Amino acid sequence: MFNPDINDYQLTSIITECCGGVAVVYSALYKPSNQNVALKRYFVDKTKEKATLIQQDIMTRKELQHQNILPYLTSFVNGRELYVVSPLMTFGSCRDILDRYFHEGLPELACAIILRDVLLALQYLHKQMFIHRSVRASHVLVGADGSSRLSGLRSAASVAVRGRRARLHRLPPPDHDNANLMWLSPELLEQNLKGYDERSDIYSLGVLCCELANGAVPFAEVPTTLMFTEKVKGSRPQLLDCSTFPEPCLDDGEMKSMYNTDSGVGDTADGVTRLRQVYATRKLTDSFHHLSEMALQRDPEKRPTATQLLNHLFLKQIRKTDYLPGLIGRVKPIKPDPNDMSALLLQQKMSEMDIEKTTEWDF
Amino acid sequence: MDPRMCRKISSSESLPDADNVEYEISNITAPQESEDNFLIEGSPEPNSVTWLDDDQIDELDLNLDQTNLFFHRVDSADIIYRSKKKKCKMVGKYVMGDVLGEGSYGKVKEMLDSESLCRRAVKILKKRKLRRIPNGEQNVQREIQLLRILRHKNVIELVDVMYNDEKQKMYLVMEFCVGVLQDMLESSPGKKFPQRQAHDYFTQLLDGLEYLHGQGVVHKDIKPGNLLLTLDQTLKITDFGVAEALDMFSPEDTCYTGQGSPAFQPPEIANGAEQFSGTKVDIWSSGVTLYNMTTGRYPFEGDNVYRLLEAIGRGEPAPPPSSLGPALGALLSHMLKRDPSLRPTVQEIRRHAWVQATPPLESGERMVMPRSRRSDELHSSTVIPYLVERHYASAQEYFTEHDLRHDMGEGGSRTLSTAELSDGESTRQKRRWNSSCGRLPSCRLT
Repeated sequence: MFNPDINDYQLTSIITECCGGVAVVYSALYKPSNQNVALKRYFVDKTKEKATLIQQDIMTRKELQHQNILPYLTSFVNGRELYVVSPLMTFGSCRDILDRYFHEGLPELACAIILRDVLLALQYLHKQMFIHRSVRASHVLVGADGSSRLSGLRSAASVAVRGRRARLHRLPPPDHDNANLMWLSPELLEQNLKGYDERSDIYSLGVLCCELANGAVPFAEVPTTLMFTEKVKGSRPQLLDCSTFPEPCLDDGEMKSMYNTDSGVGDTADGVTRLRQVYATRKLTDSFHHLSEMALQRDPEKRPTATQLLNHLFLKQIRKTDYLPGLIGRVKPIKPDPNDMSALLLQQKMSEMDIEKTTEWDF
Repeated sequence: MDPRMCRKISSSESLPDADNVEYEISNITAPQESEDNFLIEGSPEPNSVTWLDDDQIDELDLNLDQTNLFFHRVDSADIIYRSKKKKCKMVGKYVMGDVLGEGSYGKVKEMLDSESLCRRAVKILKKRKLRRIPNGEQNVQREIQLLRILRHKNVIELVDVMYNDEKQKMYLVMEFCVGVLQDMLESSPGKKFPQRQAHDYFTQLLDGLEYLHGQGVVHKDIKPGNLLLTLDQTLKITDFGVAEALDMFSPEDTCYTGQGSPAFQPPEIANGAEQFSGTKVDIWSSGVTLYNMTTGRYPFEGDNVYRLLEAIGRGEPAPPPSSLGPALGALLSHMLKRDPSLRPTVQEIRRHAWVQATPPLESGERMVMPRSRRSDELHSSTVIPYLVERHYASAQEYFTEHDLRHDMGEGGSRTLSTAELSDGESTRQKRRWNSSCGRLPSCRLT
């Protein structure tokens, strides 16, 4: 068990800022047992409206128990901040891995291993009558043992209505920049009387396939409304290789706008040219293409279920000895960062001084 | 060429891409009756063109048959067609869609939030029209004030308010709903719902009313016409134009004005009482609503408003038909007591036997679905065609059969049928899609 007390946790580094600046994730040492954990700190003042969503996230995670879903350990309030404790996922999120180390996408086998874990999580969620509604690389976290866990359960929704499976009609709660929409299925975005069901997650998994393989998120650089009409009209994102990405038909300017990744090399013209070359010269296996095409079908009825996809040829290639950290060797695990630590210590001291300020100076 | 030569060709076939394209001949086009003020037809044709509508074209054809005097021959393949466009219009961050309904104050249209992609409805209020309605402007102000504070699952949410001073328009952006109970009743057999369905709506109405009365708000115009349904069948109480916020510090719920719809007014208002209990007005109106939803009739009827109010003011309501069963009959009689103080509160109604138990769906009964709009049973977004226009508008807006044949790779000289023309358009459409998808190399068409 983990104590709900900030004094039992020693912050060791800043992992990431998230949720549009309302939350920060730290790595921390849980002192009583010397275990590494992740602490997500919400600034409650900034999140008035979202408090119910944080609550929802915690409630859902408490209810669910699966080796591929990020568990909830404990949570507590300190001052005006809410802390939620989870196990530390040493290699961070797949989005971070792509941004920092794999602009052109992850190796196929790595994709397969990650996708299998996400599918196991989805299979379980769907059986528990939940729809995840935000399957994306930033919500897939890779642990020290190389297994992936799905997070982001704040937008998960139960489809059980009086014990029966119902269809949903509403959009998931909006995130700060509406980026989540890029992963969502056409039928979910349409918001018509037909509604959507768990097969909407399968579509998002298809988008995740492209994200993991290509590095870039499909539709990332087009206006939201165009992304919407493209999806409704049935155009499917694709894995980029020599079969889907014939080099000469695109000019530079358009390429740039399509394949900018937010950080680093991708922004420069050189980076884009290099990416183009990688896409145009590589060849991904047919089974990978097939898997993503199956998942990205416009008609939800035609999409396979998570269970069916787990039996897909592309995932059959994984052998017991395949080890994700070995495949993504250049990714450095999250470690205590002395610079972060001194900054964090200072911050802590400052906040303690804040309290002392209330006692008046008496000369 | 003589404009009379041209025949309007239209295709009602919907294309596989769900994009309805109407063909119009460019030099005879029906006057674009702006069904919509925003539609400004930027027509590039010369000014000398006469605009005709269908009937006139038919007449012209007749004349031609009779007189058949002089005209230049024009190869049908040279007739210029134009695909009808839906001009995309933005208000703030919202993309406008089709008209959903119309009221005395203005129109209600569908909108799409271009950032969150959430479907919305917007009530467009024109100052000019509002001034003509008694208390119009005052009622709108009150509605906005109230809706800004109210937050409940069964009360319509006001999302945004925008003003356009230049056009003297106000936009009230609301949650999107697919239907009004009133419309659904009108389109259902016997103009009523199965008890099972009425029960579902009524319990939601009670939830909403309980919240409103708890917040010290009296709606005063509860009726099927003011109850909307969302995509997931959540009932929303709407139209707070005549609602009233009670004095928070007064123990009574006294109101002084009633402006609701006559058929749903209680006897005390029909008789012109100077003051009356506000919440009990809503109870009465909810009773009439339940009566109406389950029987298709009203407890009071009259040839005109005066007769109706007279009947409500003096008479006893028509007893609920015995076919409703004793439980519902008793509930209705209780809610429709002439003496407001004898009417139950929302909490008392909740505990009533008919409310407590969900009635089964009797054999032969079918749930009534929201009325389909323009043959679209799914109530899909009407904004999409406008978005298509915005994102895929191609330079080639005008085309002839020649072009189509060329596109279709046919050299023959035979005339294409209308169906083929539409097929041609669909290949053209696809090509256009492909070319636009060229910019999206990671996408392809199914």
